Amino acid sequence: MSEEILKVEDLRTYFYSYTKEAFIRSVDSVSFSIRKGEVLGIVGESGCGKSVAAQSILGLITDGPGIISGNIFLTRNDKTVNLLDGLSDYASIRTKRKAILEISKDISGWLKRSESLMKGIRGKVISMIFQNPKSALNPFITVGDQISESIMLHKGIQAKKEAMAIASKWLERVQIDSPSMRLYDYPHGLSGGMCQRVMIAMALSSEPSLLIADEPTTGLDVTIQTKIVELLKKLREELALTILLITHDMNVIMQLADRIAVMYGGRIVEYGLKKEIMDSNSFIRHPYTIALLNSIPTIGEIKAKERLRAIKGDVPDTITLYRGCRFYERCTLKNDRIKKRCKEAEPEMIEIGTGHYMRCWLAE
Amino acid sequence: MKFILWKPILKLVLREFFIAVFLLLGVSIVIFSILHLAPGDPLHIFINIQTQNPEDVALLKRELGLDRAIPIQYLSWLNKLLHGNFGNSFRTGKPVFGELIKVGVNTLMLTIGSMIVTLLIAIPIAVISSLRRHPVLSWGLTLFAYILSALPVFYLGYIVIYIFTKKFNLFPFLPSGAVSSSKFNLIYFFLPIMVLGVGNGSISEIVRHLKMQLERVLSEDYIKAAKAKGASIWRHSFKEGILIPVTTMVAAKIPFILGGAVVVEQVFNWPGMGRLAWQAALDRDYPVIMGITLFAAVFVHVGRLTQTLVFAFVNPQTGEKGEGD
Repeated sequence: MSEEILKVEDLRTYFYSYTKEAFIRSVDSVSFSIRKGEVLGIVGESGCGKSVAAQSILGLITDGPGIISGNIFLTRNDKTVNLLDGLSDYASIRTKRKAILEISKDISGWLKRSESLMKGIRGKVISMIFQNPKSALNPFITVGDQISESIMLHKGIQAKKEAMAIASKWLERVQIDSPSMRLYDYPHGLSGGMCQRVMIAMALSSEPSLLIADEPTTGLDVTIQTKIVELLKKLREELALTILLITHDMNVIMQLADRIAVMYGGRIVEYGLKKEIMDSNSFIRHPYTIALLNSIPTIGEIKAKERLRAIKGDVPDTITLYRGCRFYERCTLKNDRIKKRCKEAEPEMIEIGTGHYMRCWLAE
Repeated sequence: MKFILWKPILKLVLREFFIAVFLLLGVSIVIFSILHLAPGDPLHIFINIQTQNPEDVALLKRELGLDRAIPIQYLSWLNKLLHGNFGNSFRTGKPVFGELIKVGVNTLMLTIGSMIVTLLIAIPIAVISSLRRHPVLSWGLTLFAYILSALPVFYLGYIVIYIFTKKFNLFPFLPSGAVSSSKFNLIYFFLPIMVLGVGNGSISEIVRHLKMQLERVLSEDYIKAAKAKGASIWRHSFKEGILIPVTTMVAAKIPFILGGAVVVEQVFNWPGMGRLAWQAALDRDYPVIMGITLFAAVFVHVGRLTQTLVFAFVNPQTGEKGEGD
C-alpha cells in the first residue's frame, strides 16, 4: 500500500451567520486520506460542504467570520506538515449551550501564518481546478501568460520563452488544437471546455503531488463533460496523478474514482473503495448512497420515459444542531426497529468491511 | 511577446476627435450665450459708461466689435478661431493664445501634481480597507479620507499658508511678480499642489469607488484561482481592480480639479488659468473667457480620451490586445 499524501482529520469549517446568530456547519468533522496515485471522489448534493472542504485544504476560505479547525497533514518527500499547524494559538474557545465553539480571535494573524504555511504548497504541491472554468481564468491575461506564470513560479524557470514553450507542450497534452497559437488568446475567445483544458494544463504544469478537482465538469455542456472526464482519465494514467475529485455527478465518480466519500449535511456518511460501494451485490450501503445511485436513470428507463427518481426533500440546513441522523427526514429505509434510535442519536462511523465505513444504524 | 492591433485603437481615437469637434462647438455656443446674457459690460474697464459722452462709447464699441448682433459676433469669433486666432484680450490687448499657453502650463502642473497627491492618498487607503484584514485601521483611514474631502479648499489654503509660511516659515509664499523673476522655482509648487491635492474633495469618492471595485474583483473566481496556484493576487487584480477604476475616477474628476484650481490660484497668488479666468470674468473680457473655456474643455476631453485608450489597451474584448507584464 502506497503512502498517504494527504490526511485530513476532524476538519471543521463553520461560517457565522449574523442574521441567524448561529454557525453554518458547512464541513463538520470530516476525516479522509488520499494515497499516492489514487483518486478519491467526494460526492454529495449541492450544499453539503464538498467544495468548502476542498478550499479549506488550500486555505482559500478567508472571508467572513467563522471557524476552521482540525488537522490537515501533507506528506511530501517523507516529510509531513500540518497545514493547520498552530491554528489553536490564534483562536479562543467559547462554549454556548454545551456545544464548544472555537472563535478565531486573531484572524489576520492566522491568515498571515496560513500564507506562510501555504507558500510553496499552493500551485506547486497541491494544484486546483475549479468549476465554471470561464470565470476561473483571468480575462485580462493571455492563456500563455497564465500557464507560463505557473511554470515560472514553481518550476524554477526564469526565461519567459522557455516557459511559453513548456506551456505550449502542456496545451498539446490537454488536447488543444494548434497550441502555439492558442497561447496568445485571451480566455474570452475560448469555449468553456477549452477553458477547462487550459485550467487543467495550468494546474498540472507545475507537476503537483495532488490535484484537487472541484466540480471540474460543472457549468459545461454534457458532451464536453464527457470529454473532460476522458481527458482526466487519460492524464491520470499518463502522469500517475493523485486526484481529490469533488463532484455531485455520480457518473463522473464512477468513471474516475478509486475510493469514494459520500458527504451529506457537512459529514461523511459513507467511505470506502468504489468497488465495494458501487457493487450492486454489496449487501449493505448507506441509504443516502443508495438514493444517489437510484437517482441516475438507466437507458431503459429513459426510453420508457419513466420519471426521474430524485431524492425527496432538500439537503438539511447545517445551522440546526441535530440530535439524530441528518438524513432521517429523507431516509426511505428507516424501519420501525431503528426509527427511534435514528431520531435520537447520530450514528458513529462503523467499519462494515475492510476500509469501508458507514454512518448508519442499519449497519449494526 | 506583445502585439497590439492598432487599427481599432486608431478608429477609437478618430471617433473621439470627431466627438471633440462637436463638443467644443457646443461648449463655445453655450458659453458665448451665457456671457452675453449675463449683466455687465466689458466697456467699464476703459471708461465710466454713465459719464462718458455717447459718441466715444459707440466708437469704443465698434473698435471692440461689440456693436454687431450677437450671432454675428459669435460667427466672427469662430471664423478667427478657425484661422488659429483666439482674439486679443480687451484688457491687455495682447493675443489671448500666447497668454493662455503661458498660464496654462502653470495650471497643468498644478492640476496634474495635485491629482498625483490625491491618488497617493486615496489608493493606499482603498487598498488597505478592501483587504478587510485590519477593520479598525481601515475604518480610521476611511474616516480620515472623508474628513480631508470635507475641507473646503479656500479654507485649507489659508490655514496652510498661515501655518507653513507665517508661523514656521517653512515654505516661501509666492510674491506677486515672482513668475517673471528668477525667484520663481519649484518650492512654490509644493503648498498649492498639496492643498489642491488634499482639498479638491475627490479623495473620499476615489476611495469609495476604488474600494468597491477592488472588493468586487478580489472576490472573483479568477482571483481565488490565482491564489490557489500560488500567484500574487495583486498582479491578477491590478488591471480590473485598480487601473480601470483609477482611470475612470481621474477622468471624471478633472473638471472638479480645474474648478478647485481657480480657488487655489486665487489663494496662493498662483499665475495660472484659474486666476486669469477670475480676472477675465470680473472684466467681462470675452475673448479671454472663451479661450479659457475652450482650453478647459480640451483638457477634460483629453482626460476622457486617455480613459478610453487605457480601457482599450486593458480590455481584450473592446480594443484587442495590449498585454504587458
